[in-house]
Amino acid sequence: MPALKGSLTYARYFVEGDLPEDFKEKFGKAIRLRAMKPLDPDEEAAERSGWCRVGDPLEVDLGYEEVFYNSYVNLGFRTDRWAIPGPLLRAKLRDAESVYLKKAGRERLSRKEKGELKELVTKKLRRELTPATRAADVSWSLDEGIVRFFSASPKEGAKMEGLFTKTFALKLVPEAPYTLAARLGLSRAQDKLWADLEPTAIAAEEV
Amino acid sequence: MQLTDRIEKRRFVGREFLLWLWFESELFDGTLTTKEHGSFGFWIERQIILTRAKEATRIAGVQPAAAREAKESLLLGKMPEAAAFHISMGNHETTFTLKAERLLVTGLKLPTVLGTTPDAPPVDLSKARRPPPRRKREEVARQEQRESDEAHESFYERMQLTRDFEAVLEALYRDFLTLRLGEAWEGVAVQLRAWAAGEDVDAEAYRAERDRSMGGARRAPARARAAAR
Repeated sequence: MPALKGSLTYARYFVEGDLPEDFKEKFGKAIRLRAMKPLDPDEEAAERSGWCRVGDPLEVDLGYEEVFYNSYVNLGFRTDRWAIPGPLLRAKLRDAESVYLKKAGRERLSRKEKGELKELVTKKLRRELTPATRAADVSWSLDEGIVRFFSASPKEGAKMEGLFTKTFALKLVPEAPYTLAARLGLSRAQDKLWADLEPTAIAAEEV
Repeated sequence: MQLTDRIEKRRFVGREFLLWLWFESELFDGTLTTKEHGSFGFWIERQIILTRAKEATRIAGVQPAAAREAKESLLLGKMPEAAAFHISMGNHETTFTLKAERLLVTGLKLPTVLGTTPDAPPVDLSKARRPPPRRKREEVARQEQRESDEAHESFYERMQLTRDFEAVLEALYRDFLTLRLGEAWEGVAVQLRAWAAGEDVDAEAYRAERDRSMGGARRAPARARAAAR
């Protein structure tokens, strides 16, 4: 359900703050700085998110032409994660533990040794696997001050919000009945009622 | 109070908004009106989900909201969590599902003209075609430019239609808030309860009260109403 074709599934976010004067140049640099960097099996991180080209998760070379569509900034939000199946990790760990114990001529491993062994096995398995990649399109309408995130997952949305703020130094407010009402604008009288609003009971009696 | 708390405490308003859309579309035979857009077709189709805590009632069908279970669920204290809607405006037909608590839009089908390719099917790599024969560099560049221009044009059209669609939803939400945060709401709530219980509701009396609450500005110009008919 991407931005460029097919049916649309998206959550809206309202951008708080003003654009800097030279925003195209600044944002271009900031986007390239936060472009997706592939995971390395030897590093600690088990997951990483970054920007990619809209509609093309594997393209992380983000030139001006690929990102700025007139008054829109279009990006892909990509997340890579090492997803090692639990049973595989446990089986490999058991094998490694028995080899280690046999070599050391011991019957038990200390907690520290277990931890180190798990890290070694995990890194070895990572070298044999490919990280799982997810991506969702992001379209920022600069004149509306609205970001449309083409995913229904609140968890992914929260991650995207984080990366957006790091990249552009602007805050995103997720759309909800409360935030849309604030954006549409309430009168003082409405605002007072809104603050103390209680749900309307439709059932004849509390069930 | 933190913003996140304020957001959480007002999520129920989204459910009431869906309930009100259902109520009005049924009362006015699938024709809603906003000051900005005049009259247009608006009704629930395919699915409605009503929930109360962990209890859920999912109703699917051509007119799911007309099913007996739908209003029975309301009387059991359930409220709409999501509903699939159809908007018919001019020659444009738009369908979407609205999830109440996040005002999340899913499966929005727009009346696009450009780049009307449906969701692309997964690529079967086993049947991948051989690469095309080598062409002149300039010809390839021209082709890529054409494709890029078409993709941009298609994107602008989709975004314009999305913005038009959102303007309708926002106008309806604004009207709902005017009613919900006005003196008339107490009377509307009585009518909602009667409607949920299957009693007759006087549509014209409701319309008059609602229009009064909205400062009489709600009724569409006669020309727009005639065009919608």
